[in-house]
This record gives sequence, C-alpha cells and structure tokens, in this order.
Amino acid sequence: MGPFHDWVYMVAAIGGLTAVTVLTRASFFLLPAGVELPERVERALRYAPACALAAIIAPGVLTRQGEVAIGWGNHQMWALLAAALVFARTRSMLAMMTVGMGLFTVLRLTVG
Amino acid sequence: MQVTTARESWLAPMDREAFRDGVRAMLPMAVAISVWGVVTGVAMVNSGMTVPVALLMTFTVFAGSAQLAVLPLLAVGAPLPVVWLTALVVNLRFVIFAASSRRSFVGLPLRQRVLAGYVNGDLGFALFSRRFADDPDRGSPVQWGYFYGGALVNWVTWQAASVVGIVLGGFAPESWGLELAAYLALTAVVVPMMARFPAVAGVATAVVLSVVTVRLPLRLGLIASVIGGVVVALAVETAGSAGERWNPIRRRSQRRSACSDDVRSTGGGHGETA
Repeated sequence: MGPFHDWVYMVAAIGGLTAVTVLTRASFFLLPAGVELPERVERALRYAPACALAAIIAPGVLTRQGEVAIGWGNHQMWALLAAALVFARTRSMLAMMTVGMGLFTVLRLTVG
Repeated sequence: MQVTTARESWLAPMDREAFRDGVRAMLPMAVAISVWGVVTGVAMVNSGMTVPVALLMTFTVFAGSAQLAVLPLLAVGAPLPVVWLTALVVNLRFVIFAASSRRSFVGLPLRQRVLAGYVNGDLGFALFSRRFADDPDRGSPVQWGYFYGGALVNWVTWQAASVVGIVLGGFAPESWGLELAAYLALTAVVVPMMARFPAVAGVATAVVLSVVTVRLPLRLGLIASVIGGVVVALAVETAGSAGERWNPIRRRSQRRSACSDDVRSTGGGHGETA
C-alpha cells in the first residue's frame, strides 16, 4: 500500500496539479491588461522548466538508491544519450523512442 | 445577440473554415501526440498508480511533462507542496506562452479565457503563434476557430492515447524498463529548449546539482538544482551579451531573432503536447 493507494493524498495532489495547469496556462489571459511580464522575470522563466526537467531526469537515470551510477553498466544512461542525439537531429518522437528503448533492450538482453 | 451567446458559452465565437484549418494543421502532429500520450499513460500505471487515479489525472491535469515529472515524487509520497511546486516550475513555459498570445484572448469573457488557457498546450501555441504572428487582429472568430480546431485534435488524440497507455501499462513486465520511456519523453521537451548556450549551461548545472544532492530529504535538491541552473543560465547570458555591448543595434536585432527562435524551439517541433 504505497502513496498511490492513498486516495486522499492522490486526489489532493491531482486537484492541485489541475489548478497549476490552469493557473500557468491561463495566467496572462486572466491578468489585467496593464500587467506585463518584466524582461528579467521572463528570462528566468525561460530557463526554469528545462532546469527542472533536467533535475528530474538526471537523478532518475544517473543514480541508483541514492548512489551515483554513472558507468558502462548504466544501460538507461546510454539509451537516453543516444535517444537525445536522435531527437536533436530528427525532432521525431517516434524515432527517439525507437532508438532509446531499442538500445536499452539490446543492452539489457546482451550485456545483461 | 452574438454577444449574449458568447457570454453564456465556454467557447468564443469561431469561424468554421478557420476551425477546419486548425484541425488540418494539428493532424500531422497526431503521431507525436500519441507517442507522448501512450508513454505517459504507461508510465503512470507502471509506477504503481491505480487505473482510476491514472484516468482521473489524465482527464484533469492534462499536462504531459508535469504529469511525468511528478510521478517519481508521488511514488515516494513527497509532500504535496513539493509536488505542486515541481509541476509549477515545469509549467512556467506556459506563462510565457500566455503572455505572448494574450492579446487574442483578453477581450473574452472569463470562462472562455479560462478554458482557452487550459487547453493552450505547447503544440497549439506553436501553431497559433506561427499562423497569426503578423495578424493585427486582437482576437477574431478566425483566430479563435483556428485555435479551437488545433486544441480539439490535440485534446482528443492526447486523451485517447493516454487511455490506451493506461490500459497497456498494466500488462508490461517491469523488466522492460518502461520508466525509461518516461525519461525519454521528458528529454524530448528539454532538447529543443537547449538551442542556445545559456540554456545548455543551466541544464548542465541542474544535472550536476541534482545528482550531487540526490540524498537530500523532501527533494530539496530538486529546488536547489532549478535555482542553481537558472542562476548559471542568466549569468552566462549576461556575460555573453556584455561582450556584444559595443554594438547595441546589432545586439538588439540579434536578440529579437533569438526570441523568435525560442518560440519555435520551445513550442514547435518537439513532442510535448498537453
């Protein structure tokens, strides 16, 4: 019975997340016309999402149980690097998923 | 009379032909949207979420990258403010989208603005801003029709694919390592954001900080990584533009083209949809 089975926790989480979606996407549709985004804030806002996503992905792929796990044996890491390169080149979601998951599966089945 | 209907409806008045244009413009993106939706659906169920909760999340939160980003947090029962703050930061790009497309929507009644904002995802924003970049109209049935056409295709494709993923997710064995697919999907959002060097420096900083601080409680490392990454990105940007200060005219025009690149790279091309 993990947190996912705690109904109160999950419904509260999802309610708040829905509010976050509406508040961010509709933000400037709801603010009075005079309110502008200061240039400095906009610059910071532009970098924050990429940093947040990187800070989610990196510990998930580069650590195991709180220990740094960067090395040849980290199949996820190599698969992700290959997939990122493919996506940077092709901008194709399908191609990146195929390469990433394909390489991971090949490594998992051959190297072990 | 049109004013009355507009006030009662959740939808702004729309031009039919423009609506069809919006549908046609979004249809080619359906493959990417579907891949994203299936991956998100599978990831939710695979991380241990029950099917009813996953369905509830899909049909309410409607933000793929935020949903995937908070999964590892929800799995360990992280404090709700941390969960919400993480989604907020990931969604901050939408604030920029809203700011730059607001003039087409601010004149509408409140509920229409709320709904239009709610469905204003990355792809819809990219298509809309590309199509109406030079349009002097401050909101028109043509603009709204085009917007809703794209949003409808996006919403239907995304939800259908998510449900398929939620159903399939229960059958996939753990050894397939499908949680990697979720990280790959998030990578597809980050890569186009790294078009310029300050962003690369910020992302690299966030990667290092997040790995180093992985043992900090309550995911404090996540927050530290975001702050550190943004500070470094801004510092690199400032250092870069200071070097060009000798020629202000050239600098200004460069900055303008860099901004339009950003709209294209954060909004278009990549697979993020909802």
